[in-house]
Amino acid sequence: MTIIILLLGLGVGVLVGLLGIGGGVVLVPALVYFLRMDQHLAQGTSLFILLPPIGLGALREYWKQGQVDLNAGILCAAGMLFGAYAGSFIALPLSSRHLQGAFGCFLMLSAFLLWRKARHDSNAAHSNQEKASV
Amino acid sequence: MSEAAETARGAGRGVGIFAIACVCGVASGMFGIGGGVILVPLLGLLFAFSQHRAQGTSLIALIPPTGILALMAYSKEGFVSWKTGLLLIPGVFLGGIAGGKIAKWIQPRLMRQVFAGILFTLGAWQALSAWRH
Repeated sequence: MTIIILLLGLGVGVLVGLLGIGGGVVLVPALVYFLRMDQHLAQGTSLFILLPPIGLGALREYWKQGQVDLNAGILCAAGMLFGAYAGSFIALPLSSRHLQGAFGCFLMLSAFLLWRKARHDSNAAHSNQEKASV
Repeated sequence: MSEAAETARGAGRGVGIFAIACVCGVASGMFGIGGGVILVPLLGLLFAFSQHRAQGTSLIALIPPTGILALMAYSKEGFVSWKTGLLLIPGVFLGGIAGGKIAKWIQPRLMRQVFAGILFTLGAWQALSAWRH
């Protein structure tokens, strides 16, 4: 069991670095399905692993290439601190079943946004420049 | 453009980014996630960040314990498995470094489309298994 959890963490971590995301979005369903956790417990545990700066190693790689907007990042951090607190008050009174359903809908919305962003990029001329400079 | 107008535009952009981050934060607390999954595309679509820049900036927002207030609310209700969490942390950290290095070599558009497909499937599965009965 311990090995499974360690490997799960490693897999999620690769996605963190690859996509610049927190990892919770894949971690929560993984905890629900592989470890048979209740939806609320999976979400609380996911928030716990986001507490230490797990993305720091990945951030360093981006920083070396100058791909970080520090001001915008700080603003985002502040907004998310308060937003997350508000969000927890919406989630906690919900039943696990409805929370899981809402989570599913949220994943589909995220997928839609990511997909749109990908198409948006392919239309932008500078994406070719980016590719050339990599 | 005059300097004052430039400053005003910069401030407007800052307020916009803060507002978007608040929305991402609500999703973060509601679903126990980092919020980066919607922050990254929104920074790109609304504020014209390049993909790599959006990802790097999103990682900044994940450094400070942004979820701490939400975590406290969950733990008060007993909804945190501390042991599993501790075991996950080293893997996520090391994986993050590897992913950051790999991101340099991969065509990001394809990678994102594949990821979007996986997310959509996961989401549909979750929603169905919750509401089917």
